Amino acid sequence: MSNTAVGTVYDTIISEVINAVRVDFEENGADDSALEDLKKTWQHKLSQMKVAQFPWDPKPEPPAQATAVPASAPTTTAPPVAAPPHAPAATTAYTQSTLTPQSSAQSLSLPATPHPNPNAVAVKPEPGFAPVEPGIKQEPGLAPVHPSYNPASGARPTAAQRAALALENQYGQRAAASINAIHSGMASQMNPGNPLVQAQQVPRQGQVPQHMNPQQQYRQGVAAAIQQQMQQQMPRPRPPNGLPTAQLDGSTDAVECMSTQPLLNSNQPAVMSRAQIDEHLHAQLAARAKQMEGGGLMLPLKKAAKSHGTVTKRQSPDGPGRFDGLDDEIKSEEDDEDAINSDLDDPDEGGEEDEDDDESLGHMMLCMYDKVQRVKNKWKCILKDGVLTVNGKEYVFHKATGEYEW
Amino acid sequence: MASSATNYYDLYRHGSLGVALTDALDELIGDERIDPQLAMKVLTQFDRVIAETLQEKVKARLTFKGSLDTYRFCDEVWTFLIRNVTFKLDNGSQTVQADKVKIVSCSSKKTEEK
Repeated sequence: MSNTAVGTVYDTIISEVINAVRVDFEENGADDSALEDLKKTWQHKLSQMKVAQFPWDPKPEPPAQATAVPASAPTTTAPPVAAPPHAPAATTAYTQSTLTPQSSAQSLSLPATPHPNPNAVAVKPEPGFAPVEPGIKQEPGLAPVHPSYNPASGARPTAAQRAALALENQYGQRAAASINAIHSGMASQMNPGNPLVQAQQVPRQGQVPQHMNPQQQYRQGVAAAIQQQMQQQMPRPRPPNGLPTAQLDGSTDAVECMSTQPLLNSNQPAVMSRAQIDEHLHAQLAARAKQMEGGGLMLPLKKAAKSHGTVTKRQSPDGPGRFDGLDDEIKSEEDDEDAINSDLDDPDEGGEEDEDDDESLGHMMLCMYDKVQRVKNKWKCILKDGVLTVNGKEYVFHKATGEYEW
Repeated sequence: MASSATNYYDLYRHGSLGVALTDALDELIGDERIDPQLAMKVLTQFDRVIAETLQEKVKARLTFKGSLDTYRFCDEVWTFLIRNVTFKLDNGSQTVQADKVKIVSCSSKKTEEK
């Protein structure tokens, strides 16, 4: 048995099959060129697999037996030559396509990360950090924070001073820049005029300390106002994003319910693109779901990924509490066209099977068995008429004996 | 595993030769140049031809050793997953090594009974 024998054997098989089905082709009304094409494509695909040297391939030492091939030889000349460049191209395409979503996902999620825990942001109020901030602070939804909780400019200094004090207490000298910023923000706020319009154009420095300030009392005071303001402000940023109103409401609510920092979080999607929102929600939901379900064991992975959108929408009224109970049931009902929802549907099983297949895809022996014997853990089998694929090469054999221990 | 029309197994369709044929047929069907029924006929012929050819034209023998990882016997089909296999090709004492090999094997009795 050798790899070179495979080419001729396969060629014989191809010719025989083609001859055998010629009558069928004629009876079926298929034209003769279809049969020729079938043969060519068959040989071509086989050549691409590179499991052996074939008589129809233009190789330095083709086996002498090439009776039925000459006609197809010229046509198949091109494919094997073209194949090598084609394969790497495909590979790069794959890597690119797989890499791109990842990198974009990273870049998308990056700006989102500071939001769930603004406390972390507040820890770094160094002056050098301020220029980076605007990326987060530009959100229109955030700007209204000022006017709403502070419609009368008279109330403003108190809050700002409190913020400055708190910063100083907490961070001492490091917060100096932020405190200065607060004061300058205060100064601009003090100017008479329409407080609402002005507040929307508040200089960035004015905002920074407010968001950096993690004090609870402060936030509670602001909470109601922000929500009020949000309702006014949200419709404005939406149209540019092309987001359906209902959708955004749902998503934002969902985030709000689940996030530990509802206020800042709910504002955030306003300037994010739809994809970003999805990305962000997905990450959050996945993390949350995992927590609540003990590593996501309860929910089949397929379903979790598929029903993501539905979760977000349905989440809104009730909050995260439904994750482990009712929600699951609804989900499975919706997605369950192809599964019976029994233990046998467990993805683990399929995964194992896949793994099994994938692993052995390149190494496979198809054959008949004459005898399979076992004595204790020693197995002995006599196999025949087989095709063996190992290390990308193919072998055919008439008889094979195998001995192995379990 | 045996197809109903004839008594040949269709297991060789999963080999590279069979896969290449199936792909080629799929293309023709996709271009609407042949019927799916005709394609099935081609595959049935393929089952017969490859079984006969392997039986009659191939004389090579081989032996192999390894450690059996998984075995399964279901519907007269043996499936083995063998690790660290060494194949010995007896016409040049050539050896081939593989980490693991999956063997799918149908009973040879059935084909003879046809």
